[in-house]
Amino acid sequence: MKLEVSNVGKWFGDRAILENINLTVNEHEFICILGHSGCGKSTLLNMVAGYLTPDQGEITVDGNLIDGPSKSRGMVFQDHALFPWMTVLDNIAFGPEVQKMSKSQAKETALHFLKLVGLEQYASHHPGELSGGMKQRVGIARALAGQPDILLMDEPFGALDVLTREMMRVELQKICSKLKPTILFVTHSISEAVYLADRVVVMKHGAIAEIFEVGIKHPRASHSAGFGDMMSRIEHVLMDEEQHLELATAKVGVV
Amino acid sequence: MKVTKTVAIGGDTVPGKPVAARKPFSIQQWTIIPSILFFVLWEIFSRINGSIKFFNPNFLPAPSVLFQEAIELAKTGIIVDSIVSSTIRIMIGFTLGCIAALVLGVLMSKFKSVEFWLSPVLNLVGPIPGLALLPLFIIWFGIGEFPKVLLIAWTTFIPVLVYTLDGFKSVPSTLVRSALSLGASERQIFTKVMLPSAFPNFLVGAQVSLGLSFGALIVSEMMGAKSGLGYIIVDARNYFKISNMFIAIILIGLEYSLFSYLLKLVERRVLAWRRGGLREAVQK
Repeated sequence: MKLEVSNVGKWFGDRAILENINLTVNEHEFICILGHSGCGKSTLLNMVAGYLTPDQGEITVDGNLIDGPSKSRGMVFQDHALFPWMTVLDNIAFGPEVQKMSKSQAKETALHFLKLVGLEQYASHHPGELSGGMKQRVGIARALAGQPDILLMDEPFGALDVLTREMMRVELQKICSKLKPTILFVTHSISEAVYLADRVVVMKHGAIAEIFEVGIKHPRASHSAGFGDMMSRIEHVLMDEEQHLELATAKVGVV
Repeated sequence: MKVTKTVAIGGDTVPGKPVAARKPFSIQQWTIIPSILFFVLWEIFSRINGSIKFFNPNFLPAPSVLFQEAIELAKTGIIVDSIVSSTIRIMIGFTLGCIAALVLGVLMSKFKSVEFWLSPVLNLVGPIPGLALLPLFIIWFGIGEFPKVLLIAWTTFIPVLVYTLDGFKSVPSTLVRSALSLGASERQIFTKVMLPSAFPNFLVGAQVSLGLSFGALIVSEMMGAKSGLGYIIVDARNYFKISNMFIAIILIGLEYSLFSYLLKLVERRVLAWRRGGLREAVQK
């Protein structure tokens, strides 16, 4: 599996959201797309998912042009988008079921992925009864149960509190080390990106500003060698000149 | 699932479990009290009116008098007959109206062309009160059961359709997107995502139109019927039996409450997954 984004651009009216995006995602790679809100990172992800079509350039998987959503590209949403009328298990079994798996087999698959995210005792609950972090874990299990070639995650932990966020990134990392999936992960948290990604793609104003190779060994922690250095390098690229200035004065003010 | 919680709130006593010990006395558990008080006040007022005559005491008989009259009336069998024929009419009419609205709602949201051709027409005829059509229905179809059921079905149909269509339109796009990314076909998305997601709206529409359907039932029975609760009212007017009117009115109220309650039960069963509202927001 190889995902290629070549020379992609997208306009909403006269406003360019994305321009000249070139990116290759290889099999088993974990790519984080990092940027401020409104930089076009979610738009890029939605185009890869097939919800939007690029106005310019093309996105291909193994040379085949993407023309609409497909089960080969699973999606995890920020607002989890679980079906509220289904139990947790039925939610996860949805993918296998619509892909013509027998009911019992689909349930079995669902249970397998539910165990993977550690929520097997909540199988018969409805999403409304779960906490935000649990819902997101179910969302991940549901996307994985669809057996996608690539997993797309659109700020999946963006709506969670800081503590849950930290826990979720550790869990996601564990899952990744087990399953070795290919992931395209959108976030605006630098530490999250450095913690998870093989490569961090920093986007600014609708273009890729720089791509960082994070060579730190898993499992990472904020005190791992090179972690802080990588974070400050990314932060430097991400911030505009005047923001640096603002930050500097703010720090002086606090001191 | 959440039954254990609602039991305490609903006030049902579980045998062997002392409610009072768990919870201090609360007026909230005695929902029948306001209704009883209403009838008691009515009784007192009617009796006072009977002696000092603010107005003709015949215009407002006391509940105790009504109760005796109702027993007399029931002995003739007319009450049971009326309730049975009214119930059959409303059940058939209401069910037909709901089914038609659901089917058309599905067709209109699934096929653009159906919506294109039907939507303007429905906007045109929808706002016309169904009752305005009754004389026409009677001329067309006579005074049999058909025009009555048709009127009830039509009155039910429009609001349910409006709510159902709104339900289909407001399915969150992320739900459709996630189904697409899991490999669901267009057909599967419709049956497994759109329908269940729009169903709560359909039920709200049914609740809303139940009141209108009852209005249609009573009016249709007041015009050219030989049985039914509405018929009792017209008949009582002709013979100036005001007590019979009150009996019919109270029975209509009771029957409506019963139907509304049944619909609520369906809703609670089907929408067990839905939580929210003030009660969920602040749990005491």
